[in-house]
Amino acid sequence: MQNLPFYQVQGSEIELFERAWRNRLPLLIKGPTGCGKTRFVAHMATKLGLPLHTVACHDDLTAADLVGRHLIVDGQTVWTDGPLTRAVREGGICYLDEVVEARKDTTVVLHPLADDRRILPIDRTGELLVAPPSFMLVVSYNPGYQNFLKGMKPSTRQRFISLAFDFPPAAQEEAILVGESGIDAMTAKRLVSIANAFRTLRDHDLEEVASTRLLVYAASLIKDGCEPTLACRAALVETLTDDPETAVALREVIDATFGR
Amino acid sequence: MEEYVGELWHKLVTRVADKQHTEAAVSLDEISKTAAIFFRALGGDPGLNLSAAPATRHGARRRWKERLATSGERVELSWRDGETLRLPEHISIFSERSLNRDLYFWLVALSAVETDNNLPWIQQNQQATLATLARFPGLIARYQRLVAALLPLRVNPENLPTAEAAQEFAIRLALMQPGSVKTLPPSKTPFYPVALWTHPNPPATAGSNISAGDGAPERESSEDANIAKSRRKHAAERTDMPDGKDGFLMMFRAESLFSWTEYINVNRPQDEEDDIESAALAAEDMDSMTVARDGETSVAKLRFDLDLPPAGEDETPLGEGISLPEWDYKKQVMQVDYCRLQEMVSAQTVPCELPAQLRRTARRLRSQFQALAPTRIWLKGQQDGEEIDLDAWVRQEADLLSGVHADSRGLYRAQVNQQRDLACLLLADLSLSTDTYASDHARVIDVIRDSLFLFSEALTATGDQFAMYGFSSLKRGNIRFNLLKSFEEKYDNQTRGRIQAIKPGYYTRMGASIRYASTLLAVQPQRQRLLLLLTDGKPNDLDRYEGRYGIEDTRMALHEARQHGLRPFCVTIDNEANEYLPHLFGASGFAVIRKPEDLPKELPLLYAQMTH
Repeated sequence: MQNLPFYQVQGSEIELFERAWRNRLPLLIKGPTGCGKTRFVAHMATKLGLPLHTVACHDDLTAADLVGRHLIVDGQTVWTDGPLTRAVREGGICYLDEVVEARKDTTVVLHPLADDRRILPIDRTGELLVAPPSFMLVVSYNPGYQNFLKGMKPSTRQRFISLAFDFPPAAQEEAILVGESGIDAMTAKRLVSIANAFRTLRDHDLEEVASTRLLVYAASLIKDGCEPTLACRAALVETLTDDPETAVALREVIDATFGR
Repeated sequence: MEEYVGELWHKLVTRVADKQHTEAAVSLDEISKTAAIFFRALGGDPGLNLSAAPATRHGARRRWKERLATSGERVELSWRDGETLRLPEHISIFSERSLNRDLYFWLVALSAVETDNNLPWIQQNQQATLATLARFPGLIARYQRLVAALLPLRVNPENLPTAEAAQEFAIRLALMQPGSVKTLPPSKTPFYPVALWTHPNPPATAGSNISAGDGAPERESSEDANIAKSRRKHAAERTDMPDGKDGFLMMFRAESLFSWTEYINVNRPQDEEDDIESAALAAEDMDSMTVARDGETSVAKLRFDLDLPPAGEDETPLGEGISLPEWDYKKQVMQVDYCRLQEMVSAQTVPCELPAQLRRTARRLRSQFQALAPTRIWLKGQQDGEEIDLDAWVRQEADLLSGVHADSRGLYRAQVNQQRDLACLLLADLSLSTDTYASDHARVIDVIRDSLFLFSEALTATGDQFAMYGFSSLKRGNIRFNLLKSFEEKYDNQTRGRIQAIKPGYYTRMGASIRYASTLLAVQPQRQRLLLLLTDGKPNDLDRYEGRYGIEDTRMALHEARQHGLRPFCVTIDNEANEYLPHLFGASGFAVIRKPEDLPKELPLLYAQMTH
């Protein structure tokens, strides 16, 4: 195993992932942004020694972007596999990040792959791919998004084993900050305390709260010699809000933690 | 002349006696929003609202100048109860502005900590100080600065009698070394108030002795910009309005002199009080205030936020209609079948066309909104797409063969798909407050009517499914839910007639109306369902449905709506909505329209932003 990406275990997620993979079950990971979903998948792919194909979903993503399309090369049409098809052929992991961002008709192509058939029909070439046992489909989404025009079709959702992620408990989050950026334990403790203060403002004053990823950013700036309150303002306050009064309040919380 | 000299003397002597630093003052208005967020971030109860504390008598020794000027006998301190966090309206005790501001944030931080209420006051404050400093070590330096600045401002204990000096020493020690003082030494004279701590004995809201309103709607005065509106909530008690039918004025003034604030149930028909300023000053000066409810409005009305304890519940039997539950936040229970809602439709509607003055705007909105109607089109000549654009390819190949320079247009076709699978239920607040004037020529209800018309026009153009209802209430047994347009009906002259016929009703029992609207919307087959609430104020009703009770019930109703997969959104013209709407709808779940007359134009645009 080379370069295993750092991942702080929160519970039984590794065991569940391995069991799902052994039993050829697709997996859905839900959780707020920046809580470690993508890192977890990368960690597991390396651990299991599987190639990983990640697709960041967006609202213009079509079925062709996943499956593949004909391209014109030197006056000829050439079939090119999309990431999903490639993962099926190689028997790797196909990870669709933020799957609700994709249009609903797009995710329907996942259906035959995500149930016990485990096939991928490619209608443009007439091919019918059968997924090898090592192939695994993983999707993730952020249920906290207030994007109410989007959501997952129940028929898609019910084909997955689901795993809920949340921000880790304080002690683990501190360990992550130390592990990722190399800052001292005291600073990590204070950063996590700020983040937890901000997290109580979710749904009330802030739409999105401080993610572990943002904390790692702040920690990296501090490690680089940046003054802590300045680092927190840049990484946390200004990232989370555009409202001047809210920003002042958040800065007060930072000052209350790091001192002024 | 006498009065003039008196006034001059008062000004002079107050200025000499006043040791506040008005030039460095920080007001609650400046920092209220920030302070509220800070309070919540530090773990304070998000349901509390922030208001200015009324000044209370402290009874401590004053300096001779202050006694001469009869000033400085009251002080504004902070405290917290079940509904409100109270902070001083102004802080100007320090000469540096930054210190005054720091004191505000310190008080907020201190109030966010839960302490053991059974402890003596001095221990509670020290405990809260320690807990705050432990959790937010960054405040230590600030606290020390505040204490250092505060101590010289307090009375020097060496100039005090022994008992008072002991008390003062204890307070000073507790400030400098929190946690070190266990008890406050007794003294006959109260100690000088401690600005860094909470109120030692906050005035409680008085008990209610009202006989559950006679059902007459309480009128809200039209908001007059000239009336200085105090943020302050007055400690208030509530009593019955003297009915004025029988009554002799029998009072023995010589025997018992009533204090200014004591309520006397005399038969005194009210005069129109035009001198608002003097009334306001008198109100500021009172410790507590007694109010009675009556149906009369005086032309000019003084507006304060009365902090009334909820009136006793009525026990009238519930009539026909739909039974709905209501949430009691104090007991944390859902009261089953507590409200009775009656769906009704206006009887005397005359089908009508769209009013002439709205036609131009409506036409423009229709053409704008048609662009939102669902379409599914193939775009040709794209650089990227699902299919090959054969026409483009053939053209390019032909151009190449004939030796013409082929331009590099895209060779693919892409499908653009705009799905709209959306149902919207608009719920309009038709309470009595909509009877007030929003601008020089239109009442709020007229603005709402125009908004409903234009909203319907816009939504008809998009093809989205929509329904419209109005609501108002008169206590829990009588919630009126006016049908304007159901999901099944078409938007036609009949529904326009109903919109034309809307009129102000009674009160705003939001929770029940939202619950019923949610059930109507939840059965719609569309995948996205929007519950749009159009209102002009807080939830309130005649019974105890006001203040936090109403807010929490509404919040629970919205929570249920979200669980049904509905998305609530609120559009309001209440300028103070920022104080309570984030708690109900979340930071991005509402929009405040500053100028009510803009509502008809803004509402469809808001809808477009929300759903596109």
